[in-house]
Amino acid sequence: MIVSVHFWSYFCDLAGSPRTVVEIPAGGTVEDALRAVYAAHPRLAPLRNSTLIAVGVEYEGPSRVLQSGEEISLFPPVQGG
Amino acid sequence: MHRSLTLTTTPIDEARCIASAGLSDQMGAVIRFSGVVRAHENGETISGIEYEAFRSMVEHQFGLLFDQLAERWPAVGSVRLVHRLGFVPAGEPSLWVEVASPHRRDAFEACQWLIDSMKQVVPIWKRPRGGGG
Repeated sequence: MIVSVHFWSYFCDLAGSPRTVVEIPAGGTVEDALRAVYAAHPRLAPLRNSTLIAVGVEYEGPSRVLQSGEEISLFPPVQGG
Repeated sequence: MHRSLTLTTTPIDEARCIASAGLSDQMGAVIRFSGVVRAHENGETISGIEYEAFRSMVEHQFGLLFDQLAERWPAVGSVRLVHRLGFVPAGEPSLWVEVASPHRRDAFEACQWLIDSMKQVVPIWKRPRGGGG
């Protein structure tokens, strides 16, 4: 299953691109997608503990099961205001 | 509760925001807050801040915050929030919030809570730009 990944803020700089796609098994989770992202973009891996994860427009955790066509967003802590 | 969210790349016109309030005559307390970009960041002089937003998620998360605010402070009659995006020069507001309720305690508490919560969950990021622009 192909999953789209969108990077925001300086994660985009570290990944070298605002978007990528990763392949995970059908029925895979956010954790599976993260593993694939970190393999392809190792500069993001050290930031894992502070990384915020959204699927669509909702915050989600690593155990969230992904459906085909969903988009993950990865970003650093937010700073509005 | 009346609610309004505006994301804009143009300067926030506070006088115009205030003039368009249209508040009910039951609202005895109106708190208005402006967050202004400082000219210094981490000891360095800056020309301003570039704000980046994940817009669809910003709108969704503000909607959730407005829902929670209405539940926690049912007396609040109106919340309006304007967040500027893109480059905001030092000295100009990046954020404008208005909370109206019959009495001041609810308005103060709800306004403070909304801004604190926004800084936790609303996906907006900032990048200071140096004094050279």
